[in-house]
Amino acid sequence: MKTVRHLLLGAIAAALPFPAFAQMAPAIEEPVTIRFYNYNLASAGLGREGTLEMLGTFAEANPLINVEGVPVPSSEVMSRVQADVIAGQGPDIAQIIFADLGYLVENFGVPALDDIAPAEELDEHLSGMFPRGIELARVDGDLYGLAYVFSTPVLFYNADLFIEAGLDPDQPPRTWEDVSAAAIAIHEATGNPGLLTGIFGPSAYDWLYQGFLRSNGGRVMSEDRGTMMFAEPEAVEALATLRAIAQAGAMPLVPSSSAIEAMSSGNAGMYLQTSAVQGALLRGAEGNFDLRAAPMPTFGDQQATPTNSGSALVIMTQDPVRQRAAWELMQHLTSDYGYTVITSQIGYVPLRQNAVTSEEYLAPFLRANPVVQPNIDQLDSLVPWVPLPGPSYRQILTVMMNASEQAVFGADDNIETILADAQSRAQSLVPR
Amino acid sequence: MTTKTATGRGWVPHAVMIPLAIVSIFPVWWMFVTSLRPENDIYSSLPWPGSPTLDNYTYAMDSIAVWPMLRNTAIYAVTSTLAQMLTAVLAAWAFVRWRFPLDKLLFALIALTWLVPFQVVMIPNYILVSRLGLVDNLLALLLPNMVSAFAILLLVQSMRSFPTEVIEAAEMDGAGHWRVLWRVVVPNLRAPLAALAILLFISTWNDYFWPLLLTRSENSTVIQIGIQMFLTEEGNQWGPLMAISSLACLPVLAIYIALQRQVIDSFVKAGMR
Repeated sequence: MKTVRHLLLGAIAAALPFPAFAQMAPAIEEPVTIRFYNYNLASAGLGREGTLEMLGTFAEANPLINVEGVPVPSSEVMSRVQADVIAGQGPDIAQIIFADLGYLVENFGVPALDDIAPAEELDEHLSGMFPRGIELARVDGDLYGLAYVFSTPVLFYNADLFIEAGLDPDQPPRTWEDVSAAAIAIHEATGNPGLLTGIFGPSAYDWLYQGFLRSNGGRVMSEDRGTMMFAEPEAVEALATLRAIAQAGAMPLVPSSSAIEAMSSGNAGMYLQTSAVQGALLRGAEGNFDLRAAPMPTFGDQQATPTNSGSALVIMTQDPVRQRAAWELMQHLTSDYGYTVITSQIGYVPLRQNAVTSEEYLAPFLRANPVVQPNIDQLDSLVPWVPLPGPSYRQILTVMMNASEQAVFGADDNIETILADAQSRAQSLVPR
Repeated sequence: MTTKTATGRGWVPHAVMIPLAIVSIFPVWWMFVTSLRPENDIYSSLPWPGSPTLDNYTYAMDSIAVWPMLRNTAIYAVTSTLAQMLTAVLAAWAFVRWRFPLDKLLFALIALTWLVPFQVVMIPNYILVSRLGLVDNLLALLLPNMVSAFAILLLVQSMRSFPTEVIEAAEMDGAGHWRVLWRVVVPNLRAPLAALAILLFISTWNDYFWPLLLTRSENSTVIQIGIQMFLTEEGNQWGPLMAISSLACLPVLAIYIALQRQVIDSFVKAGMR
């Protein structure tokens, strides 16, 4: 599918008019149907049910707007968008993974919200959101969407294995030094992996890796997205920490799905991963072991800088009336009500302060489910998952993540050389 | 002594085949067992469910439109298989019985299309069916899957090895080409046709990318998309996933059992040739 995508790029560029953006229509006066690509609809269970509920309440409140919810698996959203744009059947609004946002904006003539939404309406809607959450959908300074369903990294741990290893589960690891010591202790005492992470593996993307490096003062690329920086000393030092744990045998290389299974079945001590997997882990832990969660670990006294996983809502249509309909839907899905459904039913982080504190919305749920609180607390230190640059962003991702994997799990101890070589190759894929 | 040797030799194939059979059957067995496990027992390594339950089947059926998906898949797989068989029989018969200008080139071109992955032509096909207004329509699923180069190649090979004396005898009795094909050749090619039918049916039944691109709603899609719905960003739901996979396997297993003898005959004859 990746090859097909690149072959289609030229056709897409030719097919799109890239107009000067005018503002959306002031109101909907005639019935209109908009197409909404959504990956939660493509899953069975809570994500789909919550989304259908929100679409149902939207339909009741907006009888002139018919939303055709199209289920598309998250891994296929970009391929599907490209095929449909060429076929003249592109979505009016789409749920786009943050990693794909830069590519979408640079190649599909997506209008910026700043350009099409009336300023006062946009300001009013954004005013209730956590400021760092708004930044997540900004590309090169312009706001192209609104963060929708997303999570932050959480250190899940198996309290039973902590006790078996002589560790205190009420004092979870706070720093990476603590994590390392605990992981090795658990491995030696129980024979189980002490630590698993969602950093590595074929479906991992780089969202967690970006946060991991930034927690040690590093970053994968410069702020202007023009220079790759994942071989800087801070990155080398951060990966050396993980390599030491891997070398001690306490952290095997396993794909993300296997890691969830190992943790769910009680066979791993700790698991650093998006809080979105919490439901799956709780289902496995129920009646089997004591699952707990702690914030993302820090490097020494530095503050952890968690990045976000997840997706944004992006308006793609050029038609002013459809833009208005899509904007109304976007506001509904990211309202206090929307985030109440998203957090309490689907399991993602609420991005609205009022939804968190209001008794009408999430306050009772958060009191009953304190495990969500570390996620909300991390919103204050959240840094955006920045999309990799250019049309070859997926190749850059592969080069970078393969190198990081090799640096941690490979036979060669020379992390600097591995990363420098990969950085040089990745840089050659960055548009000049 | 001869009896002892024969008995001894008789054990050798069994000693090889029994472990191979276990290796082949084990994943299927594990799928059924996992589908019967309760959620908190899903990662158990016991080879049978501790407390068997049908909860995963109930949940899967409540979560997605299983029956419409199975119906769509069955219609798609059966019609596509029949269409490919029909076009393959006619095309193979033409290639085997007639010499016509550029016949070898045409045959080579058909053979070459077999080497082109469907993903390469998927987007042009998609644009075509969308212009025909057939998006989210079962007919659009079927249209690009009515002819199979693989089926034509396989049947050409089978028809070439068909005894020409039998065909000539039928022609001497006054039978035309059409009658010879359907009354003489096809009935005697039951084994390769059955094997081909199974291969085509399974291939269409398991089709994922084309329906993924084409269908827009649960009620119009196929079971493979339904299975994928239990693999989520928030973790895989193994119990319902295995339940729905078990249901999806049953028609394929049933057809294989029904046509088992013909399939084995076909492979044995292919091995002897």
